[in-house]
Amino acid sequence: MSLVSARMDAPHIDENPFFVLDLPIDCGAMDIERAGQKLLAMLKVGMKDAASYRTPLGPRQRDEDAVRRAMAALREPQARAMAEFWARPEVWEPVHETRLPVWSDAHKRLGTLDR
Amino acid sequence: MHSRPLYVGIDLGTTNSTAATFDGAALTLIRNAQGSTLTPSVVRFDGRGNVTVGAKARRAIDSDPENTRSEFKRVMGTGKRFAIPATGKELLAEELAAHVLRSLRADVREQLGFEPTAAVVTVPALFEIPQSAATSRAAQLAGFSRVELLQEPVASALAAGWTSDTRGAWLVYDLGGGTFDVSLLETRDGLLRVVGHDGDNFLGGRDFDNALLDWALATLKTRGVLIERSDPRAAPTLTKLKLAIEDARIELTRNERANVALVGCRGADGSDLPIDFDIDRLTMESVCRHLVDRSVAVCRRLLATHGRSSADLSQIVLVGGPTVMPFLRSQLRADIGAPFAPQLDPMTLVAQGAALYAATAGLDARPAPTQREGGERLWLSYPAMTPDLTPHVVGKLVEPRRQLARIRLRRADGWESPEVALDAEGAFVVAVDVLPRQSNELVLEGSDEAGKRVEVAPSRITIVQGMTIGDPPLSRTVGVALADDRVHVYFERGSPLPARRSFRHRTVESVVPGDGSFALKIPIVQGELDRAHLCRLVGALEIPSSLVKRPLPAGSPLEVTLELDRGGKLSARALVLGSGEVFEEVAHLLGPDATPQSLTATIEAIATRIGEHRRSAFRNNTAAMVSRLATIDERLNEARVAAQAAHGGDADAAQRAHRLLLELDAELDGFERDQQWPELDAELTDAIVHTTSWVQEFGNEHEKKVLDETVSAARRAREARQSVELQRQLRLLRTLAFTASQRWPEFWPTEFEAAASRVNEASDLAKAESLIREGRGYMDAGHRERLSRVVRDLWALLPSDPTERRLSYESGVR
Repeated sequence: MSLVSARMDAPHIDENPFFVLDLPIDCGAMDIERAGQKLLAMLKVGMKDAASYRTPLGPRQRDEDAVRRAMAALREPQARAMAEFWARPEVWEPVHETRLPVWSDAHKRLGTLDR
Repeated sequence: MHSRPLYVGIDLGTTNSTAATFDGAALTLIRNAQGSTLTPSVVRFDGRGNVTVGAKARRAIDSDPENTRSEFKRVMGTGKRFAIPATGKELLAEELAAHVLRSLRADVREQLGFEPTAAVVTVPALFEIPQSAATSRAAQLAGFSRVELLQEPVASALAAGWTSDTRGAWLVYDLGGGTFDVSLLETRDGLLRVVGHDGDNFLGGRDFDNALLDWALATLKTRGVLIERSDPRAAPTLTKLKLAIEDARIELTRNERANVALVGCRGADGSDLPIDFDIDRLTMESVCRHLVDRSVAVCRRLLATHGRSSADLSQIVLVGGPTVMPFLRSQLRADIGAPFAPQLDPMTLVAQGAALYAATAGLDARPAPTQREGGERLWLSYPAMTPDLTPHVVGKLVEPRRQLARIRLRRADGWESPEVALDAEGAFVVAVDVLPRQSNELVLEGSDEAGKRVEVAPSRITIVQGMTIGDPPLSRTVGVALADDRVHVYFERGSPLPARRSFRHRTVESVVPGDGSFALKIPIVQGELDRAHLCRLVGALEIPSSLVKRPLPAGSPLEVTLELDRGGKLSARALVLGSGEVFEEVAHLLGPDATPQSLTATIEAIATRIGEHRRSAFRNNTAAMVSRLATIDERLNEARVAAQAAHGGDADAAQRAHRLLLELDAELDGFERDQQWPELDAELTDAIVHTTSWVQEFGNEHEKKVLDETVSAARRAREARQSVELQRQLRLLRTLAFTASQRWPEFWPTEFEAAASRVNEASDLAKAESLIREGRGYMDAGHRERLSRVVRDLWALLPSDPTERRLSYESGVR
């Protein structure tokens, strides 16, 4: 499979749950509930303050669906870990090396060498 | 009328149904006219237009089987019609289910004094979109104007979490009449999280009865009483015997021994059959032990998938009638080890959870008040039920501001919030303190600029503090089938509902305005596998040539939006980006039903699949495959016999054939997945090598950490041979690889050269050549972003494989 077709599954920086909920990456479970519920309520009554959020790529429109998706993602440890690195600014800093990818410890990771 | 909100939950079961209510403080089970909390899901019609539901209807199953219908939940959403001779009508499963729901609604009215207008109705965890949509329709037919669906295991987990102070990880073991579901849950900070589900769609109380029936037939045979299960003439005797055995199984939960004695049963030759024998607990244990073992294996698989063991469990919650069997409990205790949650009623837990969820969803069942409160009207929004001790109440004036300037909320016991000023939009946000594990009534007090009291409406609200779950999770992944037989996932399994997502696709074929003989299809599929043809088709969006105003050339960009509500309603829309035309016609498909014709067609399809695999097995000389296929083939013969009886009008046999065919279909799917395993395993090796290389070279520390977690999860899935989970982890690996690889400056130039090398295959050669010239210019100038756009446009012009497209439900998009 081409790597690029995996782009369809790639989480976008502009849908990052931490940006959608306007929360720091070290927030707790209750912070997520509180922020999410508050935003849902504000969106429901049409408050302008809740209608957009900031991302490193500029402001984005916020809707109830994005908030619910963000809350669900941050409740799930694996999805949260993914969201954490996307939320860090260094992820988007360009890397200038031009070396080709090299063979790594893949077999060890697979568990085929450590048996 | 109740002063506080009241929430209604309904467990619409295959065998029995139950309703429960929640008033913010206490759960109440609704009793029917017979005083029972369980209403048999059986409906009977008579010639005078009367409809009977429940125990009274069940008593007529033997005496008036043609006008008495049960177990219709199994064919929900299939289009199967049940003929009712007494009325001369044919009814769908959801129309029969509507009678059960209407009866429960009337029971709520009897007990509480008003007819509920809203309810949460539970559905099995593995219900697909057509089945869920049919359940919603049933509730609407029964008079509920607002309905939400909730998965049964989530409902029982919610009820168990509410009534006991569980922390950490725990299991809900739900053994119903026909299916087994197990859920791994975690409670933290008052929030319930469904970590994962597993189950066996073909394991339930009925399998225990069937195992006992087989034992009984063998026992009777040794006494010279011959009853052949495959002989349609034996069907009436078998039905009676099955019912008697079910009663005996239930009796054995209290007694050491039960007697089965039937009179008036006749053999195939018309002779009297003397049926009289005892079953004891030891016999039942030895006959049914393998079924409990099967369920334990599913529990262990679920734990292993999530890197847990039974030692991590704080408790097991038992749900479903068969879980009261003492031998099942002792075997589970011995095999899994965790204690059982105390004082929970396995028969009504699901309905209780549904009522609790109705509170979380703010689904007040009381009819709208006829009299309006006086005062300035506010539009309020707040969580009706929350684990948060300081939730927010948000409000806005409905009409332009008049006198109201400030607002304060006061709790009944005296606590009050600070006074908050309304902003320029006439809105406010107030954080309120609520008392734990109870219903908190809050009064809204408004004032004008001068501090003078202003009446507001509504003037009071109720917030319940307690354990909740987020939005109900989607049970199976939903996506669009692409022309190359891949699935573009829109909503992953576990996504919160309702959900709405849009993605951009390209057409693979031209659509020109015409007579409507051609339509470009966008198939919508549900399932966990990456290949579209292995997922279930649940709907299709079509762009017919008769509705297209301007020609739509191949490679045209489309924005497809899928939307799923909590009731299983699927909407889809395609926006043609070039012309702005919108297409919204979704063909909703039905699940398979059990008409004799559809049974025969399914048997033929399965026989063809077996034949193809058998030829391949012989060619490759793989004896194990041949033997496995022979077993499947033998069972297909059983289905043939039952289908023949179904052609003769035997509804029971039709259901048995239907069930058998579903099992065989699943077995063949499993067989096919196993055949793909070496390919999947190789894909994993490749993905790990690839992703690790990219992440080590261009990734940061966080990406490396995520990679480690993903590789561990993939290893667990690989060791447990769980192809579905493995595919999920593969998707994550590819995402990681893509993130890191994009930082390689040669990435887009490499992809560009690969696409350019296939220019002769392009559907529009002139356009492709122009794009290549454009791309070369961008490469020379170092415009990576523009080059990436050119590469995507080039891909859109490359053809799809016709075989893959046929497999992929003739998808017209990529």
